[in-house]
Amino acid sequence: MKTLTTAAALALAAGFALGGAQDARAKDYLLTGLKPDKLVVVDAAARQVDKVHTIPQAAPGPVTITPSPDGKTAYVVVNRWESVSGIDLESGEEVFRADLSSERERAKVMFGMDISPDGKTLAVYESPVRLELGEYQVLPTRISFFDTGAGKGAQRLRSIPAPRQVTILMYAKDGSRLYGLGRAVHVIDPATGDVIAEHKTQGWDRAEFYPPDILSVWSQWEQAGVFSTPYYTARSDMSLEDPAAYWTGLLTLDLDSGDFKLKEVENTDIFYFSTVVSPTNPDLLYGVYNNLSKLDAAQGKPLGRVELDHSYYAVNISSDGKEVYVGGTMSDIAVYDAETLKKLGSIEMPGGANQALATLRVIRR
Amino acid sequence: MKHLKPINAKARQLTEAAEEGREEEVRLMQTMVGCTATLDPGWEVDAFGGVAALCQPMEADLYGCSDPCWWPAQVADTLNSYPNWNADAPAAQRDWRKLQSVFPEDT
Repeated sequence: MKTLTTAAALALAAGFALGGAQDARAKDYLLTGLKPDKLVVVDAAARQVDKVHTIPQAAPGPVTITPSPDGKTAYVVVNRWESVSGIDLESGEEVFRADLSSERERAKVMFGMDISPDGKTLAVYESPVRLELGEYQVLPTRISFFDTGAGKGAQRLRSIPAPRQVTILMYAKDGSRLYGLGRAVHVIDPATGDVIAEHKTQGWDRAEFYPPDILSVWSQWEQAGVFSTPYYTARSDMSLEDPAAYWTGLLTLDLDSGDFKLKEVENTDIFYFSTVVSPTNPDLLYGVYNNLSKLDAAQGKPLGRVELDHSYYAVNISSDGKEVYVGGTMSDIAVYDAETLKKLGSIEMPGGANQALATLRVIRR
Repeated sequence: MKHLKPINAKARQLTEAAEEGREEEVRLMQTMVGCTATLDPGWEVDAFGGVAALCQPMEADLYGCSDPCWWPAQVADTLNSYPNWNADAPAAQRDWRKLQSVFPEDT
């Protein structure tokens, strides 16, 4: 028995050692989508496409991509934004499918989707309409919950009412809250649907600024655990003929502490479609569109920018905070040095297919 | 109704609904029906009145805008009626010549 116990202990220790070694060897993989029906896994350090999976019934293309916490499955909004397909990232098999529309009701996921921190529940923001004989009747928007283990033909576990115009849906780190970005950041109790609090954006009470303009549809907060998006505003106490009246700001929401911040960073002379927070310095953000910029959200100042080869919608960052990845839009992911903003490389997508609105996510395994 | 002949889709719909006793459910739509959450009148100028801050090149933005129906009058509605409009043209910068006009089905 003693021998067995010793052997078991040795095996256990070896297992821990192996587990530790595996963690040390874990690498960053990027996830993106291609038109009309591909989910792509990219080995970031190798600058190579690792796997290309085909998503059934996906046209016109993948949109929001939500990886499971263990990095084994990706849930993808597809099929005219009316279905969520869960793809096993190793085998490419479709292991989950929720088709949201029915004969009399058409439900669209306009980007908002997230998975609970325990990986068991998928939260999906739905915009439904009832298809009547001669009209579409707009129905209340809702957040529906699905069991990620439900397989194909997954049905809603339950739904809660949700404010309209939400485009980003995020779980708090402890799973106790859902944040929905619409015309405010709504703090929602996932159990009841009650809006517990709101962080004002469109209705802010900053008298010296006009209400901000926000276009935020890219889910890319996993590295820092902090959501961010650019906003655009103008000083209400200055002439709008004066270019100095226009400001670009950064909205950040810490999904652990719940801290919500708004900070102007530069006069608006270029735009960003999306931003990402550095996992090694929460004050450091990167914004992307026709330029890639490095921005200091604490001091409210730009730290540098470079022109890009073409427009990119999406941006993400390596786990060590040293490389920035820009993607979406066309058919490549470009890699930039997070410190110098020097271009380090590029990863071409198979067949030159466009990523369009697909999100760019990072998993580590 | 026996002396009236439907000559367009809405009238045919009303006739069929009347036979089922559902004519009250056929209504005149008051607004343009698109799939869009926005309505841009055409290829835009940027917020500065120029084009430098638009997507570069235009092909980079084509599917990012057409798929969510940002340009409902200019390109096909892939969200509802024509999901496969660009299915054979996954690379806009290379395949744009394959993109064709679409026409409402004659129902």
